[in-house]
Amino acid sequence: MNGVLGIAGYVLREALSRKFILAFLVGITLLLLTLTLSLRIEVLDGALAATRLFGQSLDHAIQAVDMALRPLYMATAYLVFYGGILFGLVACSDFAPSLLSPGRIEHLLALPVRRWQVLVGTFVGVMTLAVGGALYGAGGLWLILGVKTGYWTVGPLIAALLASVAYAAVYAVMLTCATLVRSAALCAAAGGVFLVLGVIAGFRRGIAPVFEEGMSRTGFELLTLFLPRLSSLANAAASIAASIPLEQRSLGAVLAGVALFGLGALALGLWHFERKDY
Amino acid sequence: MKTRGTRFLVLAVVVFVAAALLMWFGQGEEALSASAQPSVEFPRKLRAQEKTRAQARRTWVVPTPDAGPSQGASDPLLAALPRGKGKTAVVLEANAFRHSPIGELLLECLYRDGGEQLRQLQERTGIDPLTDLDRLAITDDGLVLSGNFGKAKTDELLGKHGRSSYGDSARIYEPPTERMLADGGVGRGGGPTIATWGHQMIVVGRDRNGVRDVIDRVEGRGSQEPPVLHETGTYGEVYGVIATPTIAKVLPPEQRELAEQLVRAAGAVELHVDARGDVAVVADVKGEDAQAVTDLGKSLGGALALARMRARSEGEEEVAKLLDFARVRPDENAFRLEVALPIDVLKERLAFCREPVPEAAAGDGGVEL
Repeated sequence: MNGVLGIAGYVLREALSRKFILAFLVGITLLLLTLTLSLRIEVLDGALAATRLFGQSLDHAIQAVDMALRPLYMATAYLVFYGGILFGLVACSDFAPSLLSPGRIEHLLALPVRRWQVLVGTFVGVMTLAVGGALYGAGGLWLILGVKTGYWTVGPLIAALLASVAYAAVYAVMLTCATLVRSAALCAAAGGVFLVLGVIAGFRRGIAPVFEEGMSRTGFELLTLFLPRLSSLANAAASIAASIPLEQRSLGAVLAGVALFGLGALALGLWHFERKDY
Repeated sequence: MKTRGTRFLVLAVVVFVAAALLMWFGQGEEALSASAQPSVEFPRKLRAQEKTRAQARRTWVVPTPDAGPSQGASDPLLAALPRGKGKTAVVLEANAFRHSPIGELLLECLYRDGGEQLRQLQERTGIDPLTDLDRLAITDDGLVLSGNFGKAKTDELLGKHGRSSYGDSARIYEPPTERMLADGGVGRGGGPTIATWGHQMIVVGRDRNGVRDVIDRVEGRGSQEPPVLHETGTYGEVYGVIATPTIAKVLPPEQRELAEQLVRAAGAVELHVDARGDVAVVADVKGEDAQAVTDLGKSLGGALALARMRARSEGEEEVAKLLDFARVRPDENAFRLEVALPIDVLKERLAFCREPVPEAAAGDGGVEL
């Protein structure tokens, strides 16, 4: 376990030394600070009566504060979900390839660390970064709006965690890809293709009629049946962020499916990594 | 060497199979997207089909004495409505409403007894409300019904009423001053005064003068004040203007402050209800004092939010759902109140209409005129 944490710490230190990720964190912080200082909200008996941004009155309806904030929370949830995954695709794509690069991997394997610990440690490090970033962004907004409106909901935080689960599946695919080819670009591409397939899988019912009835439609339905429904999870995250009730059993199945798919992809990567000669 | 890590391969296969089974049985995509908010279309202006409907209703040309300039054709029902400020007139598009989803639900309620009450009403009056009635207007002074009343058994039904012709096409039926009681005694008469105007309008008023005023307005002899409701405001399945003192009277005592604020800020509220899908209600409030109107809008928005919160905390989820889409849209010296009643929630509320009426209550029906 110490080996896993050691590698995870190493990944985190490397991440924090990168300007790209630091700029991202500073960007989120500045955005939250700007929002804190420029947003003025008037709440009357639980209704959002007036909003001013940079002193300008925003044209909106007077309605229950949770209903008024729904679109904002939903948009934030989608931004954290898709924006976070896309950022993670780019920013974290070369952690594993650089760790597995010639010279470095031999050095790592010479340490008292098991092979699986290298890969799992990388995964844990990147996921710590992803969960921290998602919670920082969504939590910051949750705190600001909660203080300004008096309306507190854990929805945005749960949505951020759901986004992290989706990213875990995407990054597991990227990590497995890194054991096959040591290329950051190819890892990012694999993650991107997986993301697109996951989005398509979520809308498979709607897309299926586009295909001609017969082989092609059946093939599409079979292919997408076993893919994680990332877009469904994104929709669920947005609904939860906005406190819109949804069917829990279905969410559980989708969430567990995505998480297990990620675990499966990671296990496949571990299997290949264990068999590889360095 | 190559057998290293087989446990991970086994784990991968097991986990992929489990994930596939979850995807297979979960089929989450539909359920997760099914809870999306219904998109409610609020009535905001006269739509194309309503414009055509309004034009088709311009059937009455007021006869002008001495061959003076003609005023053009008008809608007799709109002409019958009160004129001037501070008046109330709400029109129900009975025919359109009857064919709307909420209308169908309400009909199910009416048909709980197998349609017995409706049949009795048709037998006694000669009017089938489902086919003969086009519009029903409710005013401060009574009712105005428009439609096809050629088969109405008015003379038979109002046999004891005094009858007289009035104006160009009206016939007024006044209630008798005395009436025979069941025990053979004589009681005071009374009841509404009724008038027919051709075969297309029935007016029900408190007294003869009120009914005559309505007929006068239709035939061009009444007040020349602007009509309470213009043709451009005839959109939705229910529409009209309600004087704020009238609204204040029906608000519960705990809303007295809001009622007083409403009367101070605005003279009347224009109402429009779209029932073609989810029931969307729009109330336009306009006043002279922009600040008073803005404050009223905020108070109203707050009251709705509070009511929703209270309903939720008291476990009245249905009421809370109805108030989910309530909002106030401010616009300088006016604001628009929007309330949507999702048809699914109304279906839940009216689910009892699909159950057969209990036998004990089935015989209680009957229509009294």
